Amino acid sequence: MVKFSRRSFLQASGLAAAGIASPAVLRSAMAQSGPVKLGCLFSSSGTMANLEGRLNYVVKMAADEINAKGGVNGRTIDVLVSDPASDWPLYAQTAKQMLQQEKVSALFGCWTSVSRKTVLPVVEQENGLLYYPLHFEGDENSKNVVYANSPPASSVLPAVDYLMGEEGVSAKRFFMLGSDYVWPRTINKQLKGYFKSKGIPETAWKEEYVPFGFSNFQTLVNQIRAFADQGGGQPVVILTVVGNSIPDFMREFANQGILATDIPVLGLDMVEADLEGLDTSKLVGHLNCWAYLQNAKGPANEAFLKNWAAYVKAKNVPFSGDVSIDPMVSAYDSVHLWAMAAAKAGSFDVPEVSKAFAGLTFDCPSGYKISMTGENNYVARGVFIGSVNDKQGFDILWQSKDTPKPVPFSPYG
Amino acid sequence: MTQKVPPLLLLGLLAGALLAPASPVRADSLDRAALVQELCGDAGAMGKAGATLVTTAAAGSAEDREWAAPLARAAIDRKLACDEAGAMLDEGGLDAVTRAPRAAAGTPRSPLLSLKNRPVFELADAAFALRGSPAVAQRTAALKTLERRPALIPEGLLEGAAAAESDAGLREQIDTLSQTAALNASDPAARIRAIGRVAENPSRRALTRISALTADPAYAANPDFRTAVDDATRRIERGIAIGDTLATLYNGLSFASILFMAAIGLAIIFGLMGVINLAQGELIMIGAYVTWLVQQGLRHAAPGLLDWYLVLAIPVAFLATAGIGIALETLLLRHLYKRPLMSLLATWAVSLFLVNIVRVVFGTQNMQFETPFYVSGGVPVIGDFIFTWNRMFAIAFAAVTLALTWLVVRKTPLGLNIRAVTQNRDMAACIGIPTRRVDMMAFGLGSGLAGLAGLALSPIYSVNPQMGQNFIIDSFMVVVLGGVGTIAGTVVAALGIGQINVLIEPLWGAVAAKVIVLLMIIAFLQWRPEGLFAVKGRRK
Repeated sequence: MVKFSRRSFLQASGLAAAGIASPAVLRSAMAQSGPVKLGCLFSSSGTMANLEGRLNYVVKMAADEINAKGGVNGRTIDVLVSDPASDWPLYAQTAKQMLQQEKVSALFGCWTSVSRKTVLPVVEQENGLLYYPLHFEGDENSKNVVYANSPPASSVLPAVDYLMGEEGVSAKRFFMLGSDYVWPRTINKQLKGYFKSKGIPETAWKEEYVPFGFSNFQTLVNQIRAFADQGGGQPVVILTVVGNSIPDFMREFANQGILATDIPVLGLDMVEADLEGLDTSKLVGHLNCWAYLQNAKGPANEAFLKNWAAYVKAKNVPFSGDVSIDPMVSAYDSVHLWAMAAAKAGSFDVPEVSKAFAGLTFDCPSGYKISMTGENNYVARGVFIGSVNDKQGFDILWQSKDTPKPVPFSPYG
Repeated sequence: MTQKVPPLLLLGLLAGALLAPASPVRADSLDRAALVQELCGDAGAMGKAGATLVTTAAAGSAEDREWAAPLARAAIDRKLACDEAGAMLDEGGLDAVTRAPRAAAGTPRSPLLSLKNRPVFELADAAFALRGSPAVAQRTAALKTLERRPALIPEGLLEGAAAAESDAGLREQIDTLSQTAALNASDPAARIRAIGRVAENPSRRALTRISALTADPAYAANPDFRTAVDDATRRIERGIAIGDTLATLYNGLSFASILFMAAIGLAIIFGLMGVINLAQGELIMIGAYVTWLVQQGLRHAAPGLLDWYLVLAIPVAFLATAGIGIALETLLLRHLYKRPLMSLLATWAVSLFLVNIVRVVFGTQNMQFETPFYVSGGVPVIGDFIFTWNRMFAIAFAAVTLALTWLVVRKTPLGLNIRAVTQNRDMAACIGIPTRRVDMMAFGLGSGLAGLAGLALSPIYSVNPQMGQNFIIDSFMVVVLGGVGTIAGTVVAALGIGQINVLIEPLWGAVAAKVIVLLMIIAFLQWRPEGLFAVKGRRK
């Protein structure tokens, strides 16, 4: 548990200098012993802090679990934490330092797609390995990134299908509201392609974007009401705003008297943590879709929730021990998947570890047996559609029978 | 269905099973067991059960309605526990069919209403409440729920409810609604009356309903009908236009009130001392956290007053942030007055310090605020204009703050001193005004106003350590545009920026609105660098 700071950087460079000075034999002997390092790229400050911050602790918790069983390939895991401060270029810079100076074996990090896009060239150039724990827009397949969560074909599209279906609300009209960056824009582009393939006319949808961190949603909610009242079938809102824009939007939505039974909101980035501080009794019925929900049934989830609560208590973690969100579980799965691949390969070298991906399976807390194939670096996950309840959580409205095969590139983009 | 509670559970079950078939079978009676079974089925079955409940509410016997009413509510609240022996109503552990107490068989599961079934059950629940609830307030609330979905109201429900209604006012409301619901009836006179009723509450939804009637055969055939439809369309369109204008003004005013609250403290500090206080946003954040602390304090000390925490927190938030401001001035800024760049960096450091200390103490999550009745929800006024109470709170709060600040600056000795120092510091010092003390008090006043802004914003925005950073740019924009150090300038600039933003947003989107407003401000400052209202007099 080393804090990645200037001091550790100085120590590391001191060690490196000593290493260069010492004979080559000694150096290779040193590299073979001691703990193996994993790096975290999650912000503990800035607008993403409340969401990303908790993932640092989950990675540490997973590492502790593995260490308790004797580590990987006879070595224990050491987790390095950084703070890219919700500043996208800083993610790339921090990743570079971790890979070049700390020689981490794998990185776990990024929440927003824009941060992943900045880190991508770094991990490709340094031949590192990044585990990305968020569901995202797809259309990317780097050999240096493991996409531990679902692309749209196995998260957004099933949810939209559900809303359009007989069992959902037979949705006919769509108001797409997002933050102005790559994830919402790509998702909406794919959705529009999907709607076209279903024969839905262009007049039946509307697209709006707000700046990052936007919070004054009064006018936009007015626009949504006007859009809904035009008639022409059941309207829904597909919400891709991120960060604190989510609670601020939901609050305004409820205050203007709109219920989920009038216009349901499908919040693609909405998690339990976004409902903290909201009066959810007026938001009951709004939807989200993820590869894990806290209410998932099964012993794996019970164990995960118990361990997390105990970890929060024992380590005095500044986040709630009763709240567990999909990216936490995905980060937890990621560490275990990496450890299994490293153990299977008998090595920590990225090319060796990558070769071992094919055929890995893990009992995810979601209750599904998640798996990887050799075809790409995607992980096959289950699909959940959640419905907001009055206790600031999500009830499971629908879940997939098994884990659909991930489709990296959308045919609708 | 009344029966004695049997001493033994088994007996109870047995009696229930025996009594159910023994009761006289009516032709239209409800198959209770089948209904409960459907309630525990999949989404399709639950949908059927919902439809059955709605028809029961409209046309069922009084006994059946009394029996079925708790089921609709239980399904909405997830209080219906389905087990191997049927289902139970959670509260009191009563069997859903027989209403005899029994123990759960196996692990019970509470079915979740799908989004499609939820409105059906809410409709059924409201229909039951309208016909059976003893309290007038509950029946009125039920009628409000029914009004949301006039198309789904089953036939006979409103007539039955009106006949049994004892409250004259409510009966009239029910009649109005049933007339509105007659839009697609067969009697042309009833339809024309319904059109008139719908037009009384103009909204885009009403317009959609009415304009659909132009395709009706009666529109071409019946001239009276045609005139009624055309008149109604005109009335509704006028209502919508008025509503939209009011909504734009209200949204602009509400945004302006937020900008004003964020900027007024800064205007005083910047105007008086020329110090660019980058920690102003963090003082807003601290004001919001103090409000939260007051709420928590009341929760323990005086739960009866909890709803009024927003009012009770006003002096606390003001004094706490004013104290921080005064401490900041005495300890830090006083030594940097001759070095503006240093003071800028120092306040920035203070802002980072405050953000991080709050993060360490409270964590990064959004704080949980109670929503008192006076800041929750809204009332529809006309057209699509909804008057939301949390925004109104901020507007009223801003107005009161403006009045008090004006009084302090214009009518008190402190205000006189502040104005004197703002206009000419050296001259003020020469005639014996203690400029250092005035600086300190003014900094305290400006910081206290920021704290009040935090309080006023807590019902609108999420409260977390980062919240202050959103305001600093906007508030500088307002202060610079308004002219440094003038209250009138701050008010006019806030109103202008707020209104322009709201006007641009629906046309070109929120991103473009920000860009255009910034460009307009830059252009304006090229023409008038001193801002809208410049303080006359010699600056140091």
